[in-house]
Amino acid sequence: MEKWYEKTGPENDVVLSTCIRLNRNLRDYPFSEKMSRSHQAAVTKCVLQASKDSCILDRFQLQYLPMEQLTKTEMVSLVELQLANPEFISVPEGRGVLLSGDESVSILLNGENHLQVQANEAGLDFEKAYRAADELDSLLEKNLTFAFDETLGYLTQNPMNLGTGLSASLSLHLPALQENGGAARISASLAPLGLSLRAGGGKGSEPKGAVYYLSNRVSLGLSESEAISNLQNIAMQIITQERAARDELVQELEVQDTICRSLGILKSARIMSYEEFQGLISNVRFGISAGLITEIGYEIVERLSFEMQPATLLVMSGKKLTVNERRSLRAQKIKEILKN
Amino acid sequence: MLCESCGVFPATTHVKTIINGELSEYCLCAQCAQKLGYGNLTTGLGLSVGSLLGGFFSHMERPEADVVRCKFCGSTFDDIARSGKVGCAECYHTFYNRLIPLIQQIHGNAKHRGKVPGGSQLSVNPQTQLSVMRSELRKAIDSENFEHAAELRDRIRALEGEGQNGKMV
Ligand SMILES: [Zn+2]
Ligand SMILES: [Zn+2]
Repeated sequence: MEKWYEKTGPENDVVLSTCIRLNRNLRDYPFSEKMSRSHQAAVTKCVLQASKDSCILDRFQLQYLPMEQLTKTEMVSLVELQLANPEFISVPEGRGVLLSGDESVSILLNGENHLQVQANEAGLDFEKAYRAADELDSLLEKNLTFAFDETLGYLTQNPMNLGTGLSASLSLHLPALQENGGAARISASLAPLGLSLRAGGGKGSEPKGAVYYLSNRVSLGLSESEAISNLQNIAMQIITQERAARDELVQELEVQDTICRSLGILKSARIMSYEEFQGLISNVRFGISAGLITEIGYEIVERLSFEMQPATLLVMSGKKLTVNERRSLRAQKIKEILKN
Repeated sequence: MLCESCGVFPATTHVKTIINGELSEYCLCAQCAQKLGYGNLTTGLGLSVGSLLGGFFSHMERPEADVVRCKFCGSTFDDIARSGKVGCAECYHTFYNRLIPLIQQIHGNAKHRGKVPGGSQLSVNPQTQLSVMRSELRKAIDSENFEHAAELRDRIRALEGEGQNGKMV
């Protein structure tokens, strides 16, 4: 089945994807820290039953995966595919995920909140992603009683997350703003606005693939549509700045050379580490937006970016591989996908 | 240990991350944790746990028997203050008066706006809806849009009626 990330979306030259998450807790069970195994089992049962009763399972083609039945690599792959977060898989006991066939819609069970309803869309598409998450939430709520207070909104274990329980985020590709220092400057200026821009992937402040996450931090006092339109406004400003910086950067012959060589290496290498891959694919993505590369589109870049990640590559191969075998498999897969 | 993001302040928060296919962990100071979206009650207030307890809660010295516990999950207010984590929905009611000042320090005087369970996306609580409709009615009358005004008046009456029925129950 085609995955959501193999599609293209609005403003795809800068915005990789849109993610909407809604955090919910059931009124009649303690929050995660105070839960026993039997509480967890009961919450899982309630949510699965409610999903069945409201026809969500059929409508979204959801399948339930208990975390305890997955291998470590499979769990890490869920994080790489943006379906779970590292905190969630660090304690798999009693947790699970309901996942749609195209992976665009998911519900995490028994994480920091009893439920986290999530919808992903390619490109900048808050409307579509919110509509899916909201529909799922509204259907669930017909058969579940969520913890809610008129003044505080949806009640959560962490008082920072009170309010709408909405977390909206965009993955942005910012190679030019990273290069000229703009990304760090923007990141510092967003905090007072209740938004955050942080580097993707690991600890570094300068991510290898120039991927950044823009998200809202304030959920109390702002409605869903206000929070989303704030984020959309800031995103459009960042997109404009990134495009202007790219136009300037791409004038340099050296930059053009690096971009075109990057595609050459991806096409011909026999061994490819993930670190090297991230830098090369970022250059190729930039090259497509600058019109220097026309033989492949964003959907191929996206597919590679998701499927060449270390754990996901292993899960898809279905084998246990050494580091070198993994690198050689990556190089081979990249060649195959680029040929088609 | 220093914060792995700014390298300046001592690290107090551990955050999980994935590096090259492996689950690993990095350490952040309170400011960076807050800035990067990993904030909790204590980082949100810009306080260390010690000063949070010491500054706000002299009731700590009360004997154990007097300590109020949430009837549903058994948490005391100290448990919540110490962990930064609220035990359950009922805790918000049990400790409402003590939690509200902390919540206001984080969120200001904000009140929830947006989706309400059990209603459509647009539903707001009846009192808010009534006050919005009344001001709309005044505007309609001022602008001599009497047809719209009549329609609003009827809808307001209907809503007020619902409210009264509610009170009688
Ligand atoms: Zn720091
Ligand atoms: Zn409680």
